[in-house]
Amino acid sequence: MRGIQLFAANRVLQGIITTIFFFFFLITSLHAQTTISGLVKDETGAPMPAVSIKIQNTNTGVSTDQNGRYQITVPNATAVLVFSYVSYVTQEINVQGRTTLDVALHPVENALDEVVVVGYGTQQKKDLTGAVSVVKTSELTKRQVTTMGEALQGLASGVKVRGGGRPGSEARVEIRGLKNLSGTNPLYVIDGMITTANRDFNPNDVESVQILKDASAAAIYGSRAANGVIIITTKKGAKGPMKVQFSGTTSMQTTPRYKLAQTEEFARLNYMAYDNAGAARQDLDLSQNTDWQDAAFRTGNMQDLNLTFSGGGESGNYLVSGNYFKNDGTVISTGFDRISFRVNTQGTKGIFSIGENLAISNGKADEISGNPIADVVRLLPTIPVYDAANPGGYGYGNERRARTFGSNPVAIADLNDSYNENLRIRGNVWSELKPVEFLKYRFNMGYETSSDHYAHLRKEGNWSLNQEFQPSIADENRARFQSLLIENTLSFNKEFGKHAVNAVVGQTYQRDLYARISGMKRNLVPDGKGGYYSELDQGNEPQAGGYRQEAIILSYLGRIEYSYDNRYLLNAVIRRDGSSRLGRSNQWGNFPSISGAWRISNEKFFQKNWINDLKLRASYGRLGNSTTSADQVGNSSANYWDYLAVINTFSTIAMGKDQLIYPGATQVALVNPNLRWETLTQKNFGIDATLFDNKITLTAEYFIADTKDVLTAMPIALTTGHDGRPPIANAASLKNTGFELSLGYNESSREFKYYVNTNITTLKNKVTSLGYGRNNIFVGNTVTQVGQPAGMWYVLQTDGLFQSQEEVDNYKNAEGTVIQSSAKPGDIRFKDNNGDGQITNDDKVVVGSPWADVELGLNLGASYKNFSLTMNWFGAFGATVYNGYHSLVDRFDDNSNYRAGIQPWTPENPNTDVPRMYYGSTLNSRGDTDRWLESGSFMRLKYLSLSYTLPESWLKRVGFQSGQVTLSGQNLLTFTGYKGLDPEFNNTNIYERGFDNFSYPSLKTYSLGLQFGF
Amino acid sequence: MRRNLHYIIIISFFTLCTGCKKDLLNIENPNTPTTDVFWKTEDDAQRGVNAIYAMFYKPALWSRWIYFRLDLTSDEGFSKSPWVELGDWTRFQYVNYNFGEGNVFTWKDTYKAIFRCNQVLDNVPNIEFANQEDKDKILGQAKFLRALHYYYAALLWENVPLVLKSSQPDDLPLQSTLPEVWAQIEKDLKEALEVLPVAWDDANLGRPNKGSVNAYLARMYMQQHKWAEAKIALDYFFTGEGAGRYSLVSNYQDNFTHTNENNSESVFEIQFSDVNKTPEDADGPSQIMSSQRAQFFAPRSIGWSDGQARYWIVGEFKKENTVDGNLDPRLRYTLFYPALEADFGDKIYGRSWDWDADEAWFRKYARDYFRNNEDYYAQNNFRLVRFADILLLYAEVLNELGNTADAVQYVDQVRNRVGMPALAVNHAEALLGQDAFRERLKVERELELCGESVRWADLKRWGDLDDAGKVQAVAERDPDFKNFVVGKHIRLPLPQIEVLNNPNLKQNSGY
Repeated sequence: MRGIQLFAANRVLQGIITTIFFFFFLITSLHAQTTISGLVKDETGAPMPAVSIKIQNTNTGVSTDQNGRYQITVPNATAVLVFSYVSYVTQEINVQGRTTLDVALHPVENALDEVVVVGYGTQQKKDLTGAVSVVKTSELTKRQVTTMGEALQGLASGVKVRGGGRPGSEARVEIRGLKNLSGTNPLYVIDGMITTANRDFNPNDVESVQILKDASAAAIYGSRAANGVIIITTKKGAKGPMKVQFSGTTSMQTTPRYKLAQTEEFARLNYMAYDNAGAARQDLDLSQNTDWQDAAFRTGNMQDLNLTFSGGGESGNYLVSGNYFKNDGTVISTGFDRISFRVNTQGTKGIFSIGENLAISNGKADEISGNPIADVVRLLPTIPVYDAANPGGYGYGNERRARTFGSNPVAIADLNDSYNENLRIRGNVWSELKPVEFLKYRFNMGYETSSDHYAHLRKEGNWSLNQEFQPSIADENRARFQSLLIENTLSFNKEFGKHAVNAVVGQTYQRDLYARISGMKRNLVPDGKGGYYSELDQGNEPQAGGYRQEAIILSYLGRIEYSYDNRYLLNAVIRRDGSSRLGRSNQWGNFPSISGAWRISNEKFFQKNWINDLKLRASYGRLGNSTTSADQVGNSSANYWDYLAVINTFSTIAMGKDQLIYPGATQVALVNPNLRWETLTQKNFGIDATLFDNKITLTAEYFIADTKDVLTAMPIALTTGHDGRPPIANAASLKNTGFELSLGYNESSREFKYYVNTNITTLKNKVTSLGYGRNNIFVGNTVTQVGQPAGMWYVLQTDGLFQSQEEVDNYKNAEGTVIQSSAKPGDIRFKDNNGDGQITNDDKVVVGSPWADVELGLNLGASYKNFSLTMNWFGAFGATVYNGYHSLVDRFDDNSNYRAGIQPWTPENPNTDVPRMYYGSTLNSRGDTDRWLESGSFMRLKYLSLSYTLPESWLKRVGFQSGQVTLSGQNLLTFTGYKGLDPEFNNTNIYERGFDNFSYPSLKTYSLGLQFGF
Repeated sequence: MRRNLHYIIIISFFTLCTGCKKDLLNIENPNTPTTDVFWKTEDDAQRGVNAIYAMFYKPALWSRWIYFRLDLTSDEGFSKSPWVELGDWTRFQYVNYNFGEGNVFTWKDTYKAIFRCNQVLDNVPNIEFANQEDKDKILGQAKFLRALHYYYAALLWENVPLVLKSSQPDDLPLQSTLPEVWAQIEKDLKEALEVLPVAWDDANLGRPNKGSVNAYLARMYMQQHKWAEAKIALDYFFTGEGAGRYSLVSNYQDNFTHTNENNSESVFEIQFSDVNKTPEDADGPSQIMSSQRAQFFAPRSIGWSDGQARYWIVGEFKKENTVDGNLDPRLRYTLFYPALEADFGDKIYGRSWDWDADEAWFRKYARDYFRNNEDYYAQNNFRLVRFADILLLYAEVLNELGNTADAVQYVDQVRNRVGMPALAVNHAEALLGQDAFRERLKVERELELCGESVRWADLKRWGDLDDAGKVQAVAERDPDFKNFVVGKHIRLPLPQIEVLNNPNLKQNSGY
């Protein structure tokens, strides 16, 4: 937030010198003068050391001390003091006779002087030639989130985030859309350690976040950067006495709910469905009226407590932080808690510096069981939650009274519970040697390890109709993950007159290891209290398993930045990577990039007062990818040896007179042995402008991204006999073109300060070729074909309902064949697109795209005196999505609950788009029609906060230096026509991106936060 | 000093990285052998062929869903499942051709099995064996099993692609016609017949022998009405090497329990075991080897009850008594029906009849004889072919070849085992002519083999689904056949996803 400590140190030094000069003048002059003193604070209310305070139009100045205090003598009562600090808005204040003057400084939005971490080095923001977003951590840390990714929503253009919702689930972050079909997350670099910012990482420790969005920016991470890079730097201590910061947040969460029928309405509709089908009605238990959403959902809550100690001296600094986070989910028997601890220290002696960052955390998640999001719909209101007559004591479907296979979520939560616990240690040690001013050698060793434990207990008892008998089962697995990173870099940084050269060369090596063992026992010993002795010594029929995974990436990198007279900037990067995950002849890849910028505003011929900065830039770069999403749990080879055909040795057969068990072995899964790098070639054209006294900032970019040989699972013919996830293939090539515009206005020189930032992203994706030389692939209700966006809807078209038998009889093709002869009034009319007189799969057509045309982010902020307000909006427009909820609840052929207020077709009520109720026939309920497609456009208030900075007078009395109270809310308002639970749903299957298959919805969160410093 | 130390560090690391050899990136998979180190030894060959048998245990094949196709789709069974789509696929209401449990999974598992066969047939010839006979036996088993899987594919979809080589990911095989599929099955079975033994030793009991091969040869010929060829295959059991090796067990129930498996009546069985209780469709360690048929077919509140028997079968059994004047004992072991307790004193999984008065469920392979519930781990071997079936097939072949008089004795053998009088006693009219005998034989097969997954093939073979009039007659026993469209529903639609993604495939006609 305060830039880099180096700058602060210089400021301190400058301050001391100026103070000495000032006192010298003070002694020698005999004018009658006024002394003014006061406190300078930052936007969070924390005291700011080393802020420069000058008397306008003089050379006189001082700076604030460690506690943010200053004292200055002014020549007269109308003197104007100028308060300035790097990356903060300079303030000019007339003394007006006051003797105390407290000032709060606010950071400059998109400050050009900002130092940006770009990977293996830093750059000033004004010198950037690639697309890099810097996320304001002041915004970030106010948010109540579990993971880092979630916190990024709405804070940077082109970065799309969908939170997990479930306690402990990880957000999905997509930078500049679909460049990688396998849907892997971006690369996270935390203090130089290449890793993932998963739920074990405490977002409160973040000092700064930069997002490398285009190929030229990310190229330094070469093969690992195809999905963008998020660089996170954790907080460091600053010079001075120990500072203590406390923050605490408590939140309440609610889940969106379906509007479902209660018993009375349900029974009326259900009887109608049976009557229409000529079936005998079920004997519904009308005495029950269960609201399954009440049974399965609850108000969730979160607590997040942080305590940070930091400080430092001349030659070193330290930071120690602790965090406790707890989340009880909105679904019963789900939760997550985390305890984390961090120590960051560094020291310098002469040309040598050393430092470390270390975080230890333990996270434990009580996992969701079954799919309550769907089960609350599948269960009928006439079923009781508890039913002593059933094994296990829970209510569920009944053949005579409630024919549904829906699972009782209360029963599953109790009878089939599991949790995951991870103890993670992550950190790095670095040392730097600066033999001469312009040369620096850095050695960085990162290490991460986690000890993972999964446990599952299946109690005896049932949760659905006619379920098979299962004894009690305990199963556990324990695993260890290790990742070692070794990096050596040498940087050169020197100016020769108007020429400035900054270069870095280096080598990196990273090795990942994962090993797991698992065990399972059945028929446990009951403990007499409704549970079991579930340690694996108990029980019988043991099973054990285990596997190991290993991968290595070896890389060489180099970068040169050159600038001439601050007008012409050039940046070139090359990285060479070798990956063990690829076919042996294709392990190495080269990833070059080049970018340039022209700062027009520094040209002599272009001096306009209203333009503070204007820069044009262009870049070209290539990135790679060798990993695929790890979605095949338990497959020990997936993701690590995708190119190796292996023998599955797990078949067992019974044979012989005594039915002894014999082993079998065979190849089960096919592979593509020649897997090669997925590459992304990106061209980027941008303009950056700062106008009207830095009040308006504008960034516009146009990019063309060609992704070749996307590494992902691609469906193959079932006749191959391949089993499991389809083999990883270089499955497709895609072209993404997009336009990104960020426009900001900020007014910070008055007492009422505000800013408005908008960002708009448009993105078009087009498949340019498919693996195995194919022209199309059909998956579910979608088709992905060359020349079109991926995953287009391919379904039958409906054409309203038949209102009368006459309409049925008159619905004929050109030859006069009645197309739907067996239909009855109230049934759906389908379009016979091929005119053959019948409705078959050949009538399916492409009807829509699951991709949004435009995404819009809107960030607003305002502050007045001690109050400040922040708002983030996010919207996506133009996607067509499949409403999985409607496709279940409006089927009528099967028993599930109905939507409250639904109006099915009846002769008396023909003006509806819902067909007649009909139990037991799928003809009206088929899933492969456009009946379930809807517009997925939405605009959502993702975040709203109101903060109040506590007055100093009050704080002093309790011994604090700073204090702030924040009230905030997430997902408070959504504007959408979509009728599912959440238009911002998440489907990781790239071919079915628009399919809302009961994914966990975004939650509404209300939070109260307190921050104190002393 | 410190500076020197750092130069050493720098130098050592740059040396280290130049020392990084190419093979640093070549990490061996420590978990399992790769294909290029396999298929080298006799043991590899043995394991390879064993893995084919493991396909019987997959849910879409013989542990679960195929019974829906063969038993429930026929006029013996039907579905009242609350899972309507599952039920629709037993009553010719095929809407979504990609429905997994009804169509795609069985198709996929069939080809998974064929891939395993093809691997053995492609790789084992290159392995050196000490004894050529052992090698031939392994190849013979693979050929038999490939033929078996194609036989059921031919019954279900008819026009399936013939995949005869180990697959590659980009394979898009050509479609074959039904006669081409039959020809391939015939070729495989004939080659298997050459090399498989008349009988296996105790350790290998359960692997296909010449009897198993001849049984499927006969079935395959009979589906094509090649009666003379079928007779040659079946002669094996009566005048050939197999004569005297097979006999009917005295207790009819022994054909369906786990207590008397691989008995004298067994021609080919799937060897189920409850030793491994793991998830039902995983290729992981300790793979499941059991059947879930009983869990899916058991009466409501005991099992899923996704399938049950048509009640007309009860009436058919009760038309005739044993020579002692008792009810046909096969009724007792074939069905759960309302009067079971009254007629034979048996409860249903320990309960008295609790269901509708016109309902019945399949009792064969149910485990109520030793437990009061079901699960996914039934261990009773499924008898794919037993000698009683061979006797009735032989009778049918002889009748079709015009030798009705000879045929009668084989039917009588089957009746005699359960105490039923000779055909001549109650069914003299059936002995009068080929057509009358055929009609009686249809009933005899029903009474003896109900619920044993042969009925769908029988209906197809008899032509009972070939014209609307005949289908009407079937529909009187099983109203699901009112949905049956002649020429269309005689075969399943190919999975739509295959037709879309493989341009060489054409959807079956009418779909």
